[in-house]
Amino acid sequence: MLSTLTSIFIATASVQTAPPVATPADFWLPIGASVQAHNVDLMFNIINYICYFFFVVILAMMVWFVIKYRAKPGTRIRTDGMTHHAVLELSWSVIPLLICIAIFFFGFTGYVDLITPPKNSFDVNVTAFKWGWQFKYPNGAQSDNLVVPSNRPVRLVMRSNDVLHCCFIPAFRVKKDIVPGRYSTLWFQCDIPTGIEEKNGYHLFCTEYCGTGHSNMNRRVMVLPQAEFDEWLVKQAQWLDEIPDDELYFKAGPKIYARCQQCHSLDGTVGLGPSWQGVWTRLTTPGGARFSDGKSYSDIIGLGKEYATPEDYIRDSIYNPGKHLVATYGNVMPTFKGQLNDRAVDSVIGMMKHLDEFDVKGAWTKTLPPAAAKTETKSEQK
Amino acid sequence: MTTIVTPRPELLDTSATTDNYLTFTRGFRSWALTLDHKRIGVMYMSAVLASFFVGGVFALLLRTELLTPGRTIVSADTYNQFFTLHGAIMVFLVIIPSIPAALGNFVLPIMLGAKDVAFPKLNLFSFYLWVGGALFTLYSLAAGGFDTGWTFYTPYSTTTTTGGVIPVLTGVFILGFSSIFTGLNFIVTVHKLRPPGMTWFRMPLFLWALYATAIIQVLATPVLAITVCLLIVERTMNIGIFNPSMGGDPVLYQHFFWFYSHPAVYIMIVPAMGIISEIISVHAHRQIFGYRFIAFSSIAIAMFSFIVWGHHMFVSGQSGLMNTIFSLISFSVAIPSAVKTFNWTMTLYKGTISLTAPMMYGLSFIFLFTIGGLTGIHLATLNTDVHLHDTYFVVAHFHYVMMGSALIGMIGGLHHWWPKMTGRMYNEKAAIIACIIIFVGFNITFFTQFMLGSQGMPRRYYDYLPEFQIYHVISTIGAYIMACGFFLCAACFVQSLLGGKKAPANPWGGRSLEWQCTSPPPHDNFSAPPTVGNCYDFSMLRWDEKEQGYVVDKELEAVAIAAEARGHS
Repeated sequence: MLSTLTSIFIATASVQTAPPVATPADFWLPIGASVQAHNVDLMFNIINYICYFFFVVILAMMVWFVIKYRAKPGTRIRTDGMTHHAVLELSWSVIPLLICIAIFFFGFTGYVDLITPPKNSFDVNVTAFKWGWQFKYPNGAQSDNLVVPSNRPVRLVMRSNDVLHCCFIPAFRVKKDIVPGRYSTLWFQCDIPTGIEEKNGYHLFCTEYCGTGHSNMNRRVMVLPQAEFDEWLVKQAQWLDEIPDDELYFKAGPKIYARCQQCHSLDGTVGLGPSWQGVWTRLTTPGGARFSDGKSYSDIIGLGKEYATPEDYIRDSIYNPGKHLVATYGNVMPTFKGQLNDRAVDSVIGMMKHLDEFDVKGAWTKTLPPAAAKTETKSEQK
Repeated sequence: MTTIVTPRPELLDTSATTDNYLTFTRGFRSWALTLDHKRIGVMYMSAVLASFFVGGVFALLLRTELLTPGRTIVSADTYNQFFTLHGAIMVFLVIIPSIPAALGNFVLPIMLGAKDVAFPKLNLFSFYLWVGGALFTLYSLAAGGFDTGWTFYTPYSTTTTTGGVIPVLTGVFILGFSSIFTGLNFIVTVHKLRPPGMTWFRMPLFLWALYATAIIQVLATPVLAITVCLLIVERTMNIGIFNPSMGGDPVLYQHFFWFYSHPAVYIMIVPAMGIISEIISVHAHRQIFGYRFIAFSSIAIAMFSFIVWGHHMFVSGQSGLMNTIFSLISFSVAIPSAVKTFNWTMTLYKGTISLTAPMMYGLSFIFLFTIGGLTGIHLATLNTDVHLHDTYFVVAHFHYVMMGSALIGMIGGLHHWWPKMTGRMYNEKAAIIACIIIFVGFNITFFTQFMLGSQGMPRRYYDYLPEFQIYHVISTIGAYIMACGFFLCAACFVQSLLGGKKAPANPWGGRSLEWQCTSPPPHDNFSAPPTVGNCYDFSMLRWDEKEQGYVVDKELEAVAIAAEARGHS
């Protein structure tokens, strides 16, 4: 209890004194906002002081000896230095050994605390993929950023869709690799709410190299008081359902497109995937060898063919992206099966059909009629 | 009681002009097919330095790209290829062969008073294997490059669309055998070709270090060969070994990889430690302090190196118990490292210290290795490592050890044996200035990265948060400064080759056998097998103005012999 209180105090103090590099106390470490941070920082600083000590001792000896025993022209070579000294040599073997064992022990106990989640933890399912994150909550809500309750242990149950990723939240001092084919877990507890504003959230990084977009997997961790969090959770689970069908494409579309924009541009720029510019025209006009196997869109889309409608084709491209590869593009898109439901796919398709209403960043450029404007303010960030 | 019966340098003055290994035979074939360990050493050194230049250019490109968040000069994919190439070239083509294969080849047989290594043809073969491996690496660039990171972690490495992965893996496989053969050669040479009188504990410490290194090379490198084979098999034939979607395990790959690559770290650093033992004692003209502790610490590091690989995987998902065991064992490496550092420092005590260029590198090594070693404690400690793992803190740590220590040791060794290798002196003042520029540039570049890392900046990032930019800018400026230092250093060597002063047999006042033959050594190194004294007893040396080098003073020698006789009775 006492240590929890201290860590809250320390974390709060460091939040108020941000930015980190400004204060001498934060010369090395960023703000620490989890209950675990205090122990890690303490250990880090103790090791630092041990390092300073030995560094200064060795440097001072070196500089002093070099100045004192520097050869002057014409001097004879000294022969009075000792060749060995068992006690001295044993002492600088044994003393570092004892220090190391002590550091190991405290590092070990700290580590056990760091990896053992309390029983009452709140679970969030995390899926990492090239190159993004999907955070899924027990009630079915999904989010691109991690939103968690404060004053309660949170456990991330993580899996990867493709290659190795790694979840790192510097402010919480936690990190864990995400290995495809198995679950890995990570827990933390943060007692300092940030509010839902993205810019106030703590950083979350991917720290296992995963290719082109490795450095674009930064997300934010927002910490909300329990009541506020519960409210957010309900709203987050229903946000798609609350939008009327005919408004889906411009209300939900851009929010979902945020996850597509890394690879699919709207202005024709060649990315890792084909640009969406003019996609609906391409899909609905016959001809053109558009796939790597030589087939064109019209060979597979149409009545009696593989896809009855272009909508079917888009939907399958989102769920089974490697099935038909557009010529010159690689098989790099992760599947969004289980991440985008029917309404989400509907909004993406709707957006593709109305691309002329969006700017190159995916923002809707038309204005809402006054009646619809009221409902717009309700739908929160996704 | 022992004395040196080799012909004294001053007596060899006339023969030196007629027979040295550089002019012994002439023509391309005489080099390309040479079995002379000295020529093979020189060829290795040229090849390694050329690779170092290429790896260094990639480093500068990386640092330039990182000047600003987002795109500065290249795209994310190109950046990923740059850091992969920088790492792969520096590790496999530069640091691993630099000291054992290049300097070791030249120095080891002469230090032993031998004519050559035990298997001269195998030695030449291992050089051509290196060339073959390098050509495959070069070819991989033409085949589309590779963006896997030098660690080739699966399943990324088996699924990436870049076309150069298999060629470079083949290159690494071949380079591994080059390294194994060199190690094998050195082990046999040290065992079988020591001259009469050179017991194990009369060997120069550089030989102990090379011997320890050779053991690691022979035992660990085959594991790398198997690992890259499995990777090639998985990538070409879709056999699931490491890829979970085919029933494999990516963490298994990490175990295999680090089972080699952690010992490989000591293949890089242990021989550099050996060089530093030589440099510090020779340029301080002072018996090395605690010879046996240093010798045994090399062997201890070689042994420990095999059982600490798991500390690269503290957050990988391996079990907490394994992490605990690996953390505990990792600390054991701190002890021999501390012993060496303190013993080197104590060797300066009551010495007769000449601040020559090699000595400046030696002192830089102690400074940089102390920082590199001490920051290892943060990473061996479990709970702090969780925060620092895969951040720039790790990048800074291993550059302090791999570059600040291993490479600085290599460059120091090159300055130390340059007069012996080429028969020419270099401009000492300019070389010292180059060393200082490199030292300052290095610290600006990499000390900043400690802060970057502990503040939470992950490694291998093309794009980064704006608050990290100031550190990146400072780091990049440091890299440019360091590059200037290396260019000055290279200029010194070129100037030395073109018009350097003729080198005496013993410019620094060394006592190991290589300082007793002429500079450059004759083809056969020694006309008669030398008898060996204490290679760290400098008491009989005196500076000779005419010779511009150190010579053995007869009176002092008699005193030394008498003293040793007293010591033995």
